[in-house]
Amino acid sequence: MKYLKNYDYGLIILTTLVLFSIGLVCVYGIAYYNYLTVNPQWQHTLLYVQYINNMNSYLYPFLVLLLISLGLCIPKRLFEQDILVKFWALALGITVILTFLSGIETGLGFIVAIMIVIQSVVFILTINKSKKIRFEKEGYIMRLGSVLLHLGVVILIFNFVTFRENPFHILIFWIGTLLVMGGNIFSFYPGKTNSLLQLK
Amino acid sequence: MTFSEYLAARDFLTNIGQPVITYILLVSILQVLFSIVYFLKRKDNYYRYLIKSVYISTSLYVLGFLFLIWFHLQIYNTVLIEYPEFLRQAIPVESSRLIIPMWIESEKLYFWSMAASVFVLTVQRRKELVSFLGIVLSVFSAIVFFLSNPFKEPLPIVHNEITMWYSALSSGDGRIFEMAGNLFGRITFYYNSTYMWTHPPMLFIAYASLIITAAACVYMLIRRDPMYDEIAYRYAKAGYILLTLGMLIGYPWAIEAWKDSAWWWDPKISGSIMMWVLYTAYLHAHIYVGRGKMWNATAYLGIICFASLLFTYLLTYIVPGIHSVVQP
Repeated sequence: MKYLKNYDYGLIILTTLVLFSIGLVCVYGIAYYNYLTVNPQWQHTLLYVQYINNMNSYLYPFLVLLLISLGLCIPKRLFEQDILVKFWALALGITVILTFLSGIETGLGFIVAIMIVIQSVVFILTINKSKKIRFEKEGYIMRLGSVLLHLGVVILIFNFVTFRENPFHILIFWIGTLLVMGGNIFSFYPGKTNSLLQLK
Repeated sequence: MTFSEYLAARDFLTNIGQPVITYILLVSILQVLFSIVYFLKRKDNYYRYLIKSVYISTSLYVLGFLFLIWFHLQIYNTVLIEYPEFLRQAIPVESSRLIIPMWIESEKLYFWSMAASVFVLTVQRRKELVSFLGIVLSVFSAIVFFLSNPFKEPLPIVHNEITMWYSALSSGDGRIFEMAGNLFGRITFYYNSTYMWTHPPMLFIAYASLIITAAACVYMLIRRDPMYDEIAYRYAKAGYILLTLGMLIGYPWAIEAWKDSAWWWDPKISGSIMMWVLYTAYLHAHIYVGRGKMWNATAYLGIICFASLLFTYLLTYIVPGIHSVVQP
């Protein structure tokens, strides 16, 4: 149990660091954008496309890391821990190969698709109040909130990475948003949500 | 209802609003004094005066906000943009009215300050925290008065657009075609947009809540009392929900309104993503706040988050971009 607690703690530290790193990528983006505006017309040149591609390529590795940390965090006890680590090491390997063969968007799309499948399984197990999954915070509403939140985040990333030109892009966006918001409210206010829904 | 009535309403707003904002500034000066005296003497009397001054300044903010609502209603009633017949092929409607939200231009900092004042009243039992926040609110009020006074020259950009339109219309200016297109776009995708009525207020209310988080994090580091951490977390949760929804709502709006513009990785958007991931990191780290020195890390993180929030807000004024008022 103590080992699991340390494992959770390590994952939360990892997630925090990854999030912090994404923040640093954004700071770099702001500074570089400002530098590029020396030429007021730069957005009408190839420089803008290059800037967007560069920023996306700096962001995507951290998104992969974030997804892996979520992937290691949520389905604990759904799989044995060492199996889980090996599984994600394999997924990361395939992502790297796909990235080299067809680009980072394909690699990221692959790992996000896996995440959606796993999160959906976790969601179904949570709804069914399965004992197979373990959460850092106890309580049905809080568990449900955590699952909805993570599922929503993964759907939003998937939608953004692979469905930008799809006619259902905005519809999927709203579904992801609804899940994220529901997840946030359930996770942050489990007691109030519980009494509101009158769940036991 | 005519353009001259709009001008009269604008003058009237200045006349009734200027005294209100001046009183807010004066009460804020008292607020700073009571806060400092309370810090030095620790007497409840001074704290009671401080709380009274916060109540008065909050009431004045609300009164001023009611004046702003009245003015916005007057804009709706008096300004009718009627597109001439020869523009009908380009503009799909015969006329437009302006439904201007109360959180644009110089009104946004006013709105944020008002929301922050209301939030401070919700923690009034925490004397040290409120004394500190009293000083913070006073700084906000001074900035509003000197740099972002919504009553001094109400809605300068909107006013300029309305004036230019009526002037071009009466003089038969050849630029009317271009102006009509621009104005129609501004009214449809900006002023009257549902997103404009939801995206910014959610963010400003979130910012107001997150001021309490930042102040409580500072006190957590000074006093090492878990009560401050609990306050910081409580307001961070509320702020984060509004921040997340507010930011997400901005996405379909950007797709709709900035179809042909270069908006992705714009500095304000990068700043907002940075702020959001930092607050996510704060809430994540908070899960283990009771472990070792984690409370220390989360308190520092909470302060860094607020610094990123201020930086993101200021980006509009310091870095060029689609959200910005500065040009390259």
